[in-house]
Amino acid sequence: MTDTIDTRRMLTDVATRLFADHVTPKMLDVAKHEGWSLALWDELAKAELPWVGVPEAAGGAGGTLSDVAAVLRVAARHAAPVPLAETYLAGWLLASANLDVPRAPLTMAAADAEISAVKNGAAWRISGVFKRVPFARAAKQLVLLAEGQVFAVDMATCGITPGRNLASEARDDVMLDGVTALATGPTLVTCEALHARGALLRAVQIGGALEHALDLACEHAKIRTQFGRRLAQFQAIQQEIARAGGEVAAAVAAALSATGVVERLADHQDVQSAQQLLMAVASAKIRAPDAAREAAAIAHQVHGAIGVTDEYALHHVTLRALAWREEFGNEVYWSMALGRAMLAGGADDYWPALSAA
Amino acid sequence: MFFENIDFSALELPQAARKLRDDVRAFLQQELAAGSYTPHLGHAEFDSAFTKKVAARGWIGLTWPKQYGGQERSYLERFVVTEEMLAFAAPCAAHWFGDRQTGPSLLRYGSEFLKQKYLPGITRGEIAFALGMSEPGSGSDLASVRTRAEKVAGGWRVTGQKVWTSWAHKADAFFVLCRTAPLTDDRHAGLSQLVIDIKTSPGVTVRPIRFMSGEHHFNEVFLDNVFVPDSHVVGEVGQGWKQITSELALERSGPERFMTTFPLLVELIRRLGKSDDARAQEMVGRLTARLWTLRRMSLAIALALDPSSGKQGAVDLGTEAALVKDMGTFYEREIVDAARLLVALEPTLDADDTFERFLAQCVVNAPVSTIRGGTTQVLRTLIARRLLGALK
Repeated sequence: MTDTIDTRRMLTDVATRLFADHVTPKMLDVAKHEGWSLALWDELAKAELPWVGVPEAAGGAGGTLSDVAAVLRVAARHAAPVPLAETYLAGWLLASANLDVPRAPLTMAAADAEISAVKNGAAWRISGVFKRVPFARAAKQLVLLAEGQVFAVDMATCGITPGRNLASEARDDVMLDGVTALATGPTLVTCEALHARGALLRAVQIGGALEHALDLACEHAKIRTQFGRRLAQFQAIQQEIARAGGEVAAAVAAALSATGVVERLADHQDVQSAQQLLMAVASAKIRAPDAAREAAAIAHQVHGAIGVTDEYALHHVTLRALAWREEFGNEVYWSMALGRAMLAGGADDYWPALSAA
Repeated sequence: MFFENIDFSALELPQAARKLRDDVRAFLQQELAAGSYTPHLGHAEFDSAFTKKVAARGWIGLTWPKQYGGQERSYLERFVVTEEMLAFAAPCAAHWFGDRQTGPSLLRYGSEFLKQKYLPGITRGEIAFALGMSEPGSGSDLASVRTRAEKVAGGWRVTGQKVWTSWAHKADAFFVLCRTAPLTDDRHAGLSQLVIDIKTSPGVTVRPIRFMSGEHHFNEVFLDNVFVPDSHVVGEVGQGWKQITSELALERSGPERFMTTFPLLVELIRRLGKSDDARAQEMVGRLTARLWTLRRMSLAIALALDPSSGKQGAVDLGTEAALVKDMGTFYEREIVDAARLLVALEPTLDADDTFERFLAQCVVNAPVSTIRGGTTQVLRTLIARRLLGALK
């Protein structure tokens, strides 16, 4: 266990240095218009960071899901405008279908009923519209999951209608009109599992973004003077900062704990494991957004009007945390899924389920 | 920031703890089925017979050395026992304070004489402890206690008044925080902890303070020139403050900080059945998520503080423990609110129906958990100090 912690600490240190060196206010400003940062991506790619968690056999850099979470947490602290989570998820899908993972920015989507995939000789031709695909404009390939198959599609053959989330990250609509898939293979990963893993990673990212929002609020409170005293000296401010601290700690604890559960149980097929997985992922994607609501509000409140400007850094992390709440299912979606499952289990199985791990 | 060096993703209960959980759960289910106790929420009941049964199974002083009656098992195993007792609202008051606070304090600071005198008795369920901390003029500001101990030949003469002393009317002994040296600029200096035998020491008077429901578990304890032999000083004279505060991390972060209303949640789920009501599903889901998260944080602290982790002493988790208590005590009320809002009824304390009775007990006891063991406001000041540095 010590080894994995130490490896992860090293990974965190490396990532922290990289992001600190290369994420600048100017870059974030440019990324607000472009939806992402190619310049940052190139720096991360040199360090192989985007392929952490993708098996080496598939062309990745190796490592565990917890390693991925460690990188995403740091990236989110820096509001890094790059498709790291998306590239990991796409790479995970490709690897699950024994397909090669290209060394390029990737994104993914799960197909719903509106999509058609027709086999034309050896090739699959795919048609359909995918709404709000994260960083589609940045990706070389769109990796689709439909009916037990993974399809890799060249993004250059797709139509893209640009869109963005609250933090101006690219969230584009993608149109495929009889596009021939580059590669196809069967997978055991279900659409639910992809959705859950996306939710988990967003929870990790929310945790990281909130950590930085809290840091900024604390720094501001220590420096800013009003009524002849520093904000940090007011008990009213202290109490709010403390409350934000609890929320942030809970978001991070839930997201990282859930990561461990998914890492251990994702390949298990039994009913009990499925229940533990749901509990873990849902808890993370409920608790982190709840924390985002509270902690982002407090971080802004402590900053006063200074925090709501375009030039001040706070909004890069608060808007991301708030926007990520809605992606891969919001708190209500996951609360209802979890509540339904726990009610179906009944009162006498409730505590045994909660205390099983 | 918080939980540095804690690896949440590796957090798992070891096999031994799971096995122990099964044993404790089976025991409690048997006790419930046999009607040996009536679950009560808000405060644990004092039930010596029940405590002796728990003791007979070796579950009191679980982590203590065998020479003092313990089992030398891990903090996580103790965590599991505590969780089960809370989940089944077991009447643990007769061993709660000895097992959780005074026992560990004696192990850490007590003389061999004190350890021999009290620890084996606690583990056998024969000696019940209480805590003499608060005073009429000292609530959150505990360092301002005015109970005084004057040095006399062979011991101390103690005079003062303690309040909110839970179960002092049934306990055998209690820890008394008192001033053994006059107040100086360093208000934390000159405080000491003494052990006083309640039932046998002349000059000790216990009077009930009724809780607002009319129940009697609190007391005020008057100490009138009570003689306490030197052998009953815990640790060093004058080091009482340090001794009290060093134990806080584990005390503040245990499952008792977020599970005292948990049985109400179970009964709520029973009431709701397989409800297809969206509000019910959402509320139960959210309560589950918040509990799941608190539990991970609490477990992480217990694991890090366990001597076998190799981290004990290396990590200071006092602030994290304060966070768990702060959020946990509010979480307990979220359960109560959800139960009220999802099931429309007028709860009464003497209802036959378990859900109704639990709900009534929880509403009446709700103000207590954010006060005892450090108020919300004191905890948040502590947390802010960590985040903002020393505040002048």
